[in-house]
Amino acid sequence: MNYLLHVVVLVGLYTCLAASLDLLVGQTGILSLAHAAFYGFGAYTSAILSVRLGVPFVYGVVAGMAVAALLSFVVSLPSLRVHDDYFVLATFAFQMISFNILNNWTALTRGPLGIAGIPVPVIFGWSIRSRFGFVALTALFAVFACVVVARITAGPFGRVLRAIREDEVFAQALGKNTLRFKVVAFAVSAALAASAGSLYAHYITYIDPKSFTVMESILVISMVIIGGAGSRWGPPIGAAVLVTLPEALRFIGLPDPVAANLRQIFYGTLLIIMMMFRPRGLAGRYAFKE
Amino acid sequence: MILPQAVLNGVIEGCTYVQLALSFVLIYRTTRFFHLAHAAAYTVGAYLFYGLVGAWKVPLLLAVPLAIAGAGALGCAMELAVYRPLRNRRASSLVLLLASLGLYVVLQNLVSLFFGDNTRTLREGTVREGMLILGARITGSQVANVCAALSFVVGVWWLLRYTRLGRTVRAVSTDPELAVVRGIPVESAILLVFSVGSALAGASAILMAYDVDLTPTMGFQPFLMGVVAAIIGGIDSIPGALFGGLFLGLALNLATLFLPTQWQDTIAFGVLILFLLFRPQGFLGTSLRRVTV
Repeated sequence: MNYLLHVVVLVGLYTCLAASLDLLVGQTGILSLAHAAFYGFGAYTSAILSVRLGVPFVYGVVAGMAVAALLSFVVSLPSLRVHDDYFVLATFAFQMISFNILNNWTALTRGPLGIAGIPVPVIFGWSIRSRFGFVALTALFAVFACVVVARITAGPFGRVLRAIREDEVFAQALGKNTLRFKVVAFAVSAALAASAGSLYAHYITYIDPKSFTVMESILVISMVIIGGAGSRWGPPIGAAVLVTLPEALRFIGLPDPVAANLRQIFYGTLLIIMMMFRPRGLAGRYAFKE
Repeated sequence: MILPQAVLNGVIEGCTYVQLALSFVLIYRTTRFFHLAHAAAYTVGAYLFYGLVGAWKVPLLLAVPLAIAGAGALGCAMELAVYRPLRNRRASSLVLLLASLGLYVVLQNLVSLFFGDNTRTLREGTVREGMLILGARITGSQVANVCAALSFVVGVWWLLRYTRLGRTVRAVSTDPELAVVRGIPVESAILLVFSVGSALAGASAILMAYDVDLTPTMGFQPFLMGVVAAIIGGIDSIPGALFGGLFLGLALNLATLFLPTQWQDTIAFGVLILFLLFRPQGFLGTSLRRVTV
């Protein structure tokens, strides 16, 4: 039962990550490989604040989101000017540097040793210890992320984002400052990813840099793509599929290292097959265009 | 003593990046997408060589061409099984990039299924002291590495410049649609660059096989450095790969004089970001893809 609830929490966490990334990939049409970095910044900010300074969970989450949003400008302001593949590369470089810093700035992050003993979340005097409590809290975070993204995309702001996705030059010709829109969308996306990071840190109570590598970014991208980029239900569906299906493979009874490899092979193959036969994803309406 | 050694190490390390940048550029300038699974060709080349020499005791003279051919065949297989069908469906470069991501994940895990996650090594006996050149030490395999990098660059340049096949490839790189109109076999030109590029990556892996440990993820780091070198040099330029690789190798090794080595990634990718911002066409690149309206 506990295991089942753990899977549910993971689905919620990844829904939060996938929904926030979809604001970029699905709505704005820009691919970022730095999502795990912002996820990590959220986790590390609130972990360091709570372990070293005893800052309560809620403030830790807010601080993590603020840090991630601020750091997102470091990538987005200069590099959203460059195009397509070059932007993907710039986010990739940022992701690699971020991991390098989390791994090597030992005075702040304790490096590869990680940070242990992160307290469980306490919200308004009520501390969350049971798995059920975490399921509820994660659901809250996931719904919050989905609602924020849905609210943004439903309004005029979202319309401009979609215009950028369809034809950026045309949006510029209509007098829209597309750089500003992209930078704001990037910051919102980074902040939402950071909120998932804080939750992760306080749920597992231990973090190390290995959880925030580029492979994690790729996993979240796969969720968005497989679920369906640019649709409301795509990210949750993608998160549910990519968390539960590999977990289900656990029960076939393979030896552990083989099972881990097979899980990865399974999700790589799934990605290729989706790209071939349904590039718009399970629930998506929008396929990547040139 | 330290400075010449850092410079020499930079050149040697740079030569590995030159080889990988060259093999990547060859594929990229023709297909125009980021073939991430290229890292797997490197890994598979190294493991094939390990399997042939270490486990089956195949003589070196036979094992080297076999492993290189294996890597080349893998490149062809990737193109035929995944990329060609995707191109026929008019997939964008982003879709191709994501598919190559899936491909890389699959191949990396296949390698660890077959060979295990344990570190493998071909090193044996004691490390010999290298020759002394201008106050720096260099070993035999490092000399081979430098020679290979130079001959690869010259070889690929000659192939593209002076052979009929090379002219075909250049035509496809310049304008695929016009090439089709002129009756140039576009698909076989692309297959050719995949086989040659992947074989070069495999050859580069074999050159490193005696100096580094083998792990299923070993290809990714050198591949990334190769891509960074390719962008620094100018992503569609063959001589650019040479400059970019040497520049990156020297920058990383000279930086070790001031900074601990664990910050190498930050330096390499910092250099990449600077180039992307201020000189996206690199040292020798001709064109930057313009926005199409």
